[in-house]
Amino acid sequence: MKVISYMKIDYMLTRQQLRIMLPIAIVAVLVGKGMDGMGVMVSCCYMLFVATLFSTAPFGACHRKNTGFLLMLPGTVTERVTGRFLYGLSYIVMTVIICLAGMGVYGLLGHEITRLSVGLFLCNVALSIVIVALEYLISYLFGEGKNNWQYLGNIVRIAPGMGMFFLFMFILGKADEEAYAMDRLVFLTEKIMSAGLVALAAALLIMALAVFICVKVIEKRDYA
Amino acid sequence: MKIIISNQSELPIYAQIREQLKEQMLNGRIPEGTTLPSIRQLAKETGVSVITTTRAYSELEAEGFIATMQGKGSVVLPTDNKLLREQYLLRIEEGLSTAIDTAKAMGMSREELTGIFHNLMDA
Amino acid sequence: MELLEVKNLSKHYKSFDLMDISFTLPRGYIMGYVGPNGSGKTTTLNLITGIVKCSDGEVYIDGHTCKEDVKTYREQIGYVGDESYFPDNFTAKNIRLALKDFYTTFSEEKFNAFLQKWNLPEKKQVKDFSRGMKVMLMFASVLSRDTKLLILDEATNGLDPVMRMEILRLLQEYVMDGQRSVIFSTHILSDLEQIADYIYFIDQGRTILHDAKDEIIESFLLVKGESGAIPPALKRELIGLEENAYGFEAILPSGRAELLGNAFLVEKPNIDDIVIHFIKNRENGNRI
Repeated sequence: MKVISYMKIDYMLTRQQLRIMLPIAIVAVLVGKGMDGMGVMVSCCYMLFVATLFSTAPFGACHRKNTGFLLMLPGTVTERVTGRFLYGLSYIVMTVIICLAGMGVYGLLGHEITRLSVGLFLCNVALSIVIVALEYLISYLFGEGKNNWQYLGNIVRIAPGMGMFFLFMFILGKADEEAYAMDRLVFLTEKIMSAGLVALAAALLIMALAVFICVKVIEKRDYA
Repeated sequence: MKIIISNQSELPIYAQIREQLKEQMLNGRIPEGTTLPSIRQLAKETGVSVITTTRAYSELEAEGFIATMQGKGSVVLPTDNKLLREQYLLRIEEGLSTAIDTAKAMGMSREELTGIFHNLMDA
Repeated sequence: MELLEVKNLSKHYKSFDLMDISFTLPRGYIMGYVGPNGSGKTTTLNLITGIVKCSDGEVYIDGHTCKEDVKTYREQIGYVGDESYFPDNFTAKNIRLALKDFYTTFSEEKFNAFLQKWNLPEKKQVKDFSRGMKVMLMFASVLSRDTKLLILDEATNGLDPVMRMEILRLLQEYVMDGQRSVIFSTHILSDLEQIADYIYFIDQGRTILHDAKDEIIESFLLVKGESGAIPPALKRELIGLEENAYGFEAILPSGRAELLGNAFLVEKPNIDDIVIHFIKNRENGNRI
């Protein structure tokens, strides 16, 4: 199976971007620092937003014009597409690891990490996966091989992640205000962990479905 | 062994190779029994297509100059001197015909032409 | 079984049709694929590599089709295109890693030896390479593994004569063992003039001529002379008649040489002459 090899290709295509992941993490901490209470969660949201942003980079890095070498590699469409999705997923996994480490540190420093915030984080991860899957789907369906994709592509790349970031900022803000004060959230807090896990599983399923659709579409297409 | 390919020549490239090899076999620069380079080797060295070289060799073979044996390559066969003489005769005739044609074209008399011939012979 | 078999290959686009291309290329030979810009050369080669799917027809390389087993098929092919083949930000090192991952026959030592031989830097990005360096990097990536067919799409364009010469030598070395073949498209016909064994000539997506190069050259004569002096019987047979105030030039099938008489200058054409006059013929409104 060449899936991992294709993923490596995508990493090579976008390797400059990988180098700024660390500075991004520092920025994320700064973003979260100003907020009290759920500061670390804000940082994590921000990191996930960046991950969705970065995960679409391979589409921008290879135009049909200069990818003869990649298209000619001995591999199947399924392997190529799966490799690309795995690349996107790996960015999210990487981010989750960084975030968990961050939360750990935060916890060690004596702050409280609530079940609510972890649950929300899981939902946020799930939503990120769905966004990556959809962005890839759109990029494969409409973007590849079209010249005017550059501009539209950038919007597709930024908008959903941005939307997600503000949505979770809003939810976190609400949760922060109300979680301690109101009892009615207790019910939610208890369920949110399992809800997060279910969301995660659903997101992975959606991604698998997206892979399947992309493969079918590309196999039907005129060019590889 | 030497082969010089000219792009200006009216002779096709396979014929240039054939003629040059033939000449060298006739004048002994390529002695009998020599194994010629393989077709592909020669093609590569001279920068000429394989088909072209193949044709030169097969014509040499048809004319009895070389014999190609499977796995052993092409070997130069003994050339008899009659053939050599014939070749040279042919060339002398060609040269003289050119001179005669030119003389006729300018209306030179037979005596005048033979006069030039004798002068040159004595010189 | 021939190394490369192309059967009734067709491709329909909105504004362009490639029609019914068929040929075979035996092991150990070089084929030149020629035609003017936009004649369908690149399309044909893309169909052979399988990058573009054909509307009709089949391509077999050593008996394999792309559809049936894309990996085996592509392992057999070495492709050298124009300069935008590698992603801009790739380095020779990246390319080596990718080759190692994907091709079972890739030899790192050979690749490194080529880099050294042609002075190609390992860490410089391809976009900062000169045209010549890009081409040599493509050759390094292709020649460092076992392939059966080299496909070159205008690979010698924009290279200086010394490099072109070096590439022609590489191609001849490649077919030396009599097992591997080369198909290459170019519009620099002098490159083909010597080393190509076969010529396939297309114009506007249609086959014009296809034969051994020597046969093609011998089946035509280049005729020049005074414009007014062409007898009608001859004029009908001339291909791509090009007239100016002082004279004309055209090609004539060798079989019609008896129509010429003594009034004209007759020369041996090169591939260039033949291609130019066939295109002129089409422009003159004649169909072949």
